[in-house]
Amino acid sequence: MNKEKLKAKDFITVGIFTALLLVVEFACGMLGFIHPYIVASYVVLIPLVGSIPMMLFYTKIEKFGMLTTMSVLIAIFMFITGMGYLGAPLIIAAGVIADLIAKSGKYKSFKKTALSHGVFCLWICANYFPVIVTADSYRKDLLDGGYSAEYCDNLFRAINEKTIAILLVLCFVFGIIGAFIGKAVVKKHFEKAGIV
Amino acid sequence: MTEPLIEIANVSWRYKGSTADSLSDVSLTVPAGETLLLCGSSGSGKTSVIRLINGLIPHYYNGDFRGSVTVAGRNIAETELTDLAGTVGTVFQNPRSQFFSVDTDGEIVFGPENVGLPPEEIRRRKKQVTEEMHLSELLDRSLFELSGGEKQRIACASVAALLPEIILLDEPSSNLDWMAMENLREIIQLWKQQGKTVIVSEHRLWYLAGIIDRVLYLKKGKIAGEWSGVDFAKLSEEELQAMALRPTVADRKYAELFRDDPAENDETASPAEEAAEEDSIVLREYYFSYKKKPYIFRKHRFSEADGENLNLCIPKLVLPRGRVIAVVGRNGTGKSTFLRCLCGLEKDCTGVIEADGETYRGRKRIGFSYMVMQDVNHQLFTDSVEAEVLLSMKEKDSKRCLRILSRLGILPYKDVHPMALSGGQKQRVAIASAIAAGAELLLFDEPTSGLDYAHMVKVGKMLRELADSGSTVLVSTHDPELIALCCDTELVIRHGRAFYRAVPEIDANKN
Amino acid sequence: MRLDPRTKLFMVFVVSAIVMMSATTTFLWVVRIGVTMVPIVLLISEKHYASAFRFLVLYGVALALLFGLLSEKSEGLLSALLLGYCSIVVQFLPAMITAWYVVRTTKIGEFVSAMQRMHIPDGITISLAVVMRFFPTIREEYASIRDAMKMRGVMLGGGNAAKMIEFRMIPLLFSCVNIGDELSAAAITRGLGGKVKRTSATELAMRAPDWLMVAAFTAAAVVFVVCKYVL
Repeated sequence: MNKEKLKAKDFITVGIFTALLLVVEFACGMLGFIHPYIVASYVVLIPLVGSIPMMLFYTKIEKFGMLTTMSVLIAIFMFITGMGYLGAPLIIAAGVIADLIAKSGKYKSFKKTALSHGVFCLWICANYFPVIVTADSYRKDLLDGGYSAEYCDNLFRAINEKTIAILLVLCFVFGIIGAFIGKAVVKKHFEKAGIV
Repeated sequence: MTEPLIEIANVSWRYKGSTADSLSDVSLTVPAGETLLLCGSSGSGKTSVIRLINGLIPHYYNGDFRGSVTVAGRNIAETELTDLAGTVGTVFQNPRSQFFSVDTDGEIVFGPENVGLPPEEIRRRKKQVTEEMHLSELLDRSLFELSGGEKQRIACASVAALLPEIILLDEPSSNLDWMAMENLREIIQLWKQQGKTVIVSEHRLWYLAGIIDRVLYLKKGKIAGEWSGVDFAKLSEEELQAMALRPTVADRKYAELFRDDPAENDETASPAEEAAEEDSIVLREYYFSYKKKPYIFRKHRFSEADGENLNLCIPKLVLPRGRVIAVVGRNGTGKSTFLRCLCGLEKDCTGVIEADGETYRGRKRIGFSYMVMQDVNHQLFTDSVEAEVLLSMKEKDSKRCLRILSRLGILPYKDVHPMALSGGQKQRVAIASAIAAGAELLLFDEPTSGLDYAHMVKVGKMLRELADSGSTVLVSTHDPELIALCCDTELVIRHGRAFYRAVPEIDANKN
Repeated sequence: MRLDPRTKLFMVFVVSAIVMMSATTTFLWVVRIGVTMVPIVLLISEKHYASAFRFLVLYGVALALLFGLLSEKSEGLLSALLLGYCSIVVQFLPAMITAWYVVRTTKIGEFVSAMQRMHIPDGITISLAVVMRFFPTIREEYASIRDAMKMRGVMLGGGNAAKMIEFRMIPLLFSCVNIGDELSAAAITRGLGGKVKRTSATELAMRAPDWLMVAAFTAAAVVFVVCKYVL
């Protein structure tokens, strides 16, 4: 029996934790209804809160491909819920790299796990791609509508390529911080209960 | 002489991380077409034997395995689990967690799809199984809408669709009510007629009366008794209790009670005991419906006028204090609704509790009563038993906490994580939290489903002690043995209405 | 009109693509709006009146405000913010409506079958099915946990945000892990993950309405691209 091949149980585990992560994203996303531009808080909230199920998931990962599969599922979900497919390359690339990092630590090293989680969390930034696209077309609409270019620039100081870079970095950093928090919680409960 | 269909030879098994063998040099054979019952207390090894036959041991669970298991000519240790799908089917204990699909049709065809059967064959089998088990009303529905009993029937259909020759059932009646158990019995009879080999591991023995060929009693991982079905049925209640087994015959009076015959029961029965109202807890105006009515300015207040549309309709109910009151009724007629509304979880139910001259309405009802829910896992939040009990206290009193723990026999576990405990121990932690909360009215939702006899006796004792020390206890249950052990009176809930009935006397000689 | 799930996925794809390109002329706007109306009409045809109505109203109002504000050229932060809000709604809604339509009118069995036909590996299909199966489960478990929290008076975690999250998350995770273990055992004993490729009881076929829809959406996409970039 091939120990490296992903089996049905692994796919079920991936499915469960993907569902949990998407639920966390949805819960945090509810806050975004207050104002669409508060959406930037996702890069802080989701890595932190989502780290708890993710760190538990990491304790169950023993083979390559589980994180990759999860990222593929997230990309599929983004597409099906109408968030577009521009983010798919980012999500899947992040998933594969995170998987490779975790593998290099033989799925046991915490340093590698934290790093892996940081990279994996970049999927959150794929949420912003549609907003960027919207912002661009919005800007064009404003210009066409007769607003001055200067006015538009003022309005868009917040959203440009630099912002995306900052968001990516924040994602990564909070992903690593989240790994520490999640690990502490997993230790406090799941290790103590003997489930891990 | 024909080969036995199943042969277990000198098997010993220890789960990884466990300090003792779960099975200790067990040997047994099962001829084809037999209906076998495995009984014994929790931890005796019944479930492990089931897992030997379906291959979950050693392929799914980790541990030390010695001996050999042969099923239908195949050595289990050398056969892939998935290859056994067409030979051995298993119905598990919890209807909620064994289904893979979201809808009933998908669940029934799940097995055949997995083994790659062509679509016409899959549809044919689905039709066959649906007809055999009378499931046509359940088709094309969401599994999440079904009752526990209906889910279990679909699980049976799903297993049967693979046409296995051996069907295993691991405590299948644990979460079912009386009617559902009778349905289950019919299904097992069907399989027996079809010549399948059926092995059932169970605590509740009465619903299988008359269809068992042989009984094996397990104790501490060894086979400690063997009877033919007929001989087993002749065992007296004392002999059964000595083995810590539940009765094999359900007392006829209980059968009537659960079967719900409208002709027999007077709907306007008043409380069996004429308790003075000042001494009792009085419930007023408990009306509730799950169907949300649209409102524009003010939410519709339910009242008696809503009549038939209400899921719960109790204008007035007197609860005698310091008693253990059983709450019975078929699943779906309002028992859980009753409990939930009573303790204040349903905001839209505006009933009022009167006790000791005080009136509790709205949120205050939550403080007055406390419900221990059926799934204990949803009620444990902290990482130690002590913290869990302290969580319930408004003023943290460490000494009182330790006293409560000691009273329930869980003091040695005070630093253990609640989720590391056994089912019975978790139950006691939940009860400890209930006591710590200082509620007058304690509600228990099915505290003994899935427990063996010894644990059920313990729970019954605890409920009695709680009542004797002043609390009023309501326990919703399907277990007649529990009612006999500790309940003073019975509250029947039918179609959302409540009325009392005295607990029937148990004859020393069963009729 | 029952459409093959693959057709529906194609529709989501095209709509997502069209909204990514900004509409600069009236004609392009017409194409965009037309493409958005199709799922709304389909929702009505499948008797989802309430959601169709809500989407129609939302989209209509947002469009009206958008064009109204743009043409007025009014000054001020407030109108710019409102404009921004409407832009986002108009931008996101078409794909969301299409997505809603797909999710609401497709059974999981059909979806799984479609994925098998598209030669997506069984593993991903299994995981996706589990995700769909777990959403309602998580909702049920969470509702039960919330009730327990209300009962024990810890809804607000004693004023501590971290505790609030901990009390909600931990029992939920324990529950899901337990259910997952039981689910896996029950699934594997019914043959999941064997060497044989999974089949499906649902047989899918692309019929005339499917091809019609595919053609229509492809045409819309082509027209959009041509009018925008070529003309």
